[in-house]
Amino acid sequence: MANTQDNVMIRMEDIHKSYGDVEVLKGIDIEVHRGEVLAIIGPSGSGKSTLLRCINRLEDITSGLVEIEGGTLASTKGDGTVEYAKEEDSRKLLGCMGMVFQQFNLFPHMTVLENLLEAPVHVKKRAKEAVLPEAMALLKKVGLEDRADYYPAQLSGGQQQRVAIARALCMKPDIMLFDEPTSALDPELTGEVLRTMRELAAEHMTMVVVTHEMNFAREAASHVIFMADGVIVEQGEPQEFFAHPKEERTRAFLNNML
Amino acid sequence: MDKLMDTVVLMLQGSEVTLEIFCVTLVLALPLGILAALGRLSKLRVLSRFMEFYIWLMRGTPLMLQLLFVYFALPMIGIMLPDMAAALLAFTLNYAAYFAEIFRAGIQSVPRGQYEAAKTLGMTYPQTMRRIILPQVIRMVLPPVSNETINLVKDTSLIYILAMNDLLRVARTIVQREFDMTPFVVAAVFYLAMTAVLTWGFKKLEAHYGKYAR
Repeated sequence: MANTQDNVMIRMEDIHKSYGDVEVLKGIDIEVHRGEVLAIIGPSGSGKSTLLRCINRLEDITSGLVEIEGGTLASTKGDGTVEYAKEEDSRKLLGCMGMVFQQFNLFPHMTVLENLLEAPVHVKKRAKEAVLPEAMALLKKVGLEDRADYYPAQLSGGQQQRVAIARALCMKPDIMLFDEPTSALDPELTGEVLRTMRELAAEHMTMVVVTHEMNFAREAASHVIFMADGVIVEQGEPQEFFAHPKEERTRAFLNNML
Repeated sequence: MDKLMDTVVLMLQGSEVTLEIFCVTLVLALPLGILAALGRLSKLRVLSRFMEFYIWLMRGTPLMLQLLFVYFALPMIGIMLPDMAAALLAFTLNYAAYFAEIFRAGIQSVPRGQYEAAKTLGMTYPQTMRRIILPQVIRMVLPPVSNETINLVKDTSLIYILAMNDLLRVARTIVQREFDMTPFVVAAVFYLAMTAVLTWGFKKLEAHYGKYAR
């Protein structure tokens, strides 16, 4: 894409987000470099999911700056209002990101394979024959090539989530966003999803992961952010962060989680 | 026996009018209903309010009154429609309003996550509606649409008021002429046959669209 020499894939500056009178993000700065895995942790209601959804405009920010691969998605003008990139530019910037949701959000009326083909064929207008081998390769990668003709309702939650990951990857994104991808799963099914995510991380996919899985954050992330009440309380390298949390708020949270 | 055959032949001719009203109304009112539902759900307040008003008007007055209005009142302001066109206009506007509410309920019952997933995959609003939302809506609205459709079969009999020779009016004419109640029974059988076909058809459709649901 545009300016990627410095390899900053996502830059957010002084992000504020309010719903009416309630401010859920109170000035957040983050920077994600190519190949980095950023884990965002924190209690419910801390604003971490909202922050993630501001990256790909599922939510509009109230003020601040959002840059994707050097292109400006949203900026705040002199009068304090937020200006978003024009339709076409915005589409291009958002197109480099894939997203995985807590509730999977597979299209229930399509088979697994159709879910994967849908966007490459109908959004990117690629030939179905060209996408097909890529889609099958991705299904193989997530261990579900034998489920290509199943409907989502016929799969377990863990399988559905792996399909959702494959579906996002089928658009060849530069950045993958994960919104609590294992929170809706039985504990025994989270492992298979986390394994897929670890593989992605090992392949240097740029990832932003909102999660409650402390082990994943500790072992797979390159950077950890702890949020509470709409601000970043503490951040750092996972080893240092988990071994020696500095803030009292962080320690209380981690003690509760472990 | 010959008399019964004559009755049946006459009533088959009456059924033609009934079926024409039924088919054309359905073909026009379903897509109109979808559009009206989308309008009703639009963020444009003017459009949404207008659709709300239209739906209120159509559901709030008797279909019979609407038929009479189109047939007798419109000519007073210079709009003169042939019998069939007048009937079709009233039926279509009326049924589109009911369908609109059914489709609105269907559209609103699709989880928000479906829109979000489509958005993150780069789909536009029309694409999302056509390829993701509406196919799911169709499955959910089949039972209520089936209800309305069966109602429509029977509502077609209201056009007797416009002096059009539909199934029921033909039956009544024969009954009054011959003083024989058989045509009423034949009419009932005809209506039942039509609804039986519809019931069967909707069952097939439900099976087809329901194949992905557990």
